[in-house]
Amino acid sequence: MNPLQPPSSVARRWIALLVVAWVGVAWAAWPIGVVDDLGREVRLAAVPQRIVSLVPSHTETVCALGACDRLVGRDTWSDHPAQVLALPDLGSAFAPDLEAIVALRPDLVLVDEYSGAVDALAPLGLTVYAGTPQRLEEVFETIERLGSLLGARTEAAVLAGRLRGELDGVAAVVAGRSRPSVFYEVDPAPYSVGPDGFIGRLIELAGGANILPAELGDFPLVDPEFVVAADPQVIVLADAPYGVDLAALRARPGWAELAAVRDGRVIEVTLAQVNVLSRAGPRIGEALRLLAGWFHPGAF
Amino acid sequence: MLASSVAFVALVVVAAGVGSVAIAPTEVAAAVVRGAWGTVVGETVPTDGATRVVDTIVWHIRLPRIALAALVGAALALAGAGFQGVFRNPLADPYLLGAASGAGFAAALAMVGGGTFAWLAGAGVPLAAFLGAAATVTVVVALARRGWSLPIVPLVLAGVVVGSCLAAGTSFVLLAAREQATGVLTWLLGSLAFASWGRVGTLAPAVLVSAAVLLAAARSLDVLQLGERAAAQLGLPVEGLKLAVVAAGTLATAAAVSVAGVIGFVGLVVPHAVRLALGPDHRRLVPVAAVWGAGFMVLADLVARTVIAPAELPVGVVTALVGAPFFLALLRRRVVT
Repeated sequence: MNPLQPPSSVARRWIALLVVAWVGVAWAAWPIGVVDDLGREVRLAAVPQRIVSLVPSHTETVCALGACDRLVGRDTWSDHPAQVLALPDLGSAFAPDLEAIVALRPDLVLVDEYSGAVDALAPLGLTVYAGTPQRLEEVFETIERLGSLLGARTEAAVLAGRLRGELDGVAAVVAGRSRPSVFYEVDPAPYSVGPDGFIGRLIELAGGANILPAELGDFPLVDPEFVVAADPQVIVLADAPYGVDLAALRARPGWAELAAVRDGRVIEVTLAQVNVLSRAGPRIGEALRLLAGWFHPGAF
Repeated sequence: MLASSVAFVALVVVAAGVGSVAIAPTEVAAAVVRGAWGTVVGETVPTDGATRVVDTIVWHIRLPRIALAALVGAALALAGAGFQGVFRNPLADPYLLGAASGAGFAAALAMVGGGTFAWLAGAGVPLAAFLGAAATVTVVVALARRGWSLPIVPLVLAGVVVGSCLAAGTSFVLLAAREQATGVLTWLLGSLAFASWGRVGTLAPAVLVSAAVLLAAARSLDVLQLGERAAAQLGLPVEGLKLAVVAAGTLATAAAVSVAGVIGFVGLVVPHAVRLALGPDHRRLVPVAAVWGAGFMVLADLVARTVIAPAELPVGVVTALVGAPFFLALLRRRVVT
């Protein structure tokens, strides 16, 4: 058949059928309902065009799903990707500027489930999704849910696939290498991270061995003696942006003799890196590569 | 009283006109009329989208917030006036008997109860805070009572000790639940950010009942200033009076804390300011303190929500920043004279 000829009536019928089927599938998806972390059903009648995000990791996810241009407002801490800095700052999720949010007339507002913002915003007639990923698996759950809400399921599947690929890629590199023992310091109290929490899982996937047992919970306050006794090979100072550096570490009784200090394997994390490491969003692959690079400097 | 009320109304008008979103005064007035009409008649005035946004901001965000601030301020000032009168101690404030620590501990527990209970937060946290405050004061009263009498010094001591104990408990809960710590801390510092007509409706009856009891007790509080023994010899039912004032003050405090968290200095400073300006007569002190407390809170909240917009200062920080220097000045004056 000459490809330049118009399609035969049979082909035309098939094309018509496909178009109808596609429209039908697309149509059937709306209105859409997603259950958030508070167990509320979030319903949208149409694809949201004016989104407010009061959670930095959600801001990143929305942009990673290709919907950055549909954001109309952000919270104070949302700073990635850089283009969101141009959006109006609506305060923090825990004390948002309700007037300014309403004035933006958003059709979807993303908030932290612990902030109480949902109780203030939902009665004003706004559609609110309340939830934040707290664990690594919940990152993928959140991508899927936001993908559904934004009408970007394909993009969500692609993003999830890419992130899984990034995680697997790092896992393949560190597999079989000996795992250095790791102490991750969140603040100088010192608070650390348990192996089951979001950062704890990343440490494991990056080929590190957290010195803390899971029984202490996800954000344990650690006895400094315990750290000295465990003698970690790598220390990650996530509180370095707040002034905790190697010198401060040496000044702690007994810490100057730790293997990590002697071997120069104390990492002073920058604020930008802390944001990558602590936000359960689309930059988990980047977070993993950072950690793996510190744990296995020869491999990357 | 009349002058205070007029000044208060003027303050409310200003507060309703100012916010992070600039709205012309005529539009604000129109939105108030439409909102009131919608509430009274039960049907909303048909409007276009832009007007609806103005209506939401004015009627559902600003006004309930102003009303809640006024009620919280009135409640705390009433409780402060009552406690200062009944304890005959200028340092008494609404939280002296542990209401704040009890509410804080209960609220922290309710919030940290886990994601499972997070959906309860809407109704659950205020209710938990109210019950926590009321239960704590009840326990303090039970610990301090000697038979049917309620000696003041043991009462205050028990309040301070039980309060410290519960504050330690709150700190422990905070440490154990880092994830929700920001939410709990924001609540503890006190906030009117999430005001609603629903919360105004919950708080109003408690404030009215408390105000009625304290007004009725005003004359007796004046007599009590002669000392408990002298007042009893004059035929005053001293123990009943103490119990009634403690109960009324606790009701107002617990209700205020349950909707707005722990806001300091209002209950301590406002009754003092009124006493300085108008004298110690409780029949005047109680109602004027309520109006001044309401005005002070509306003003403090106005500062809190506008001075660093879009971010917000915790309103408790504003009241303390204004209240502490004022109180110190007052103290200096007392020392000097």
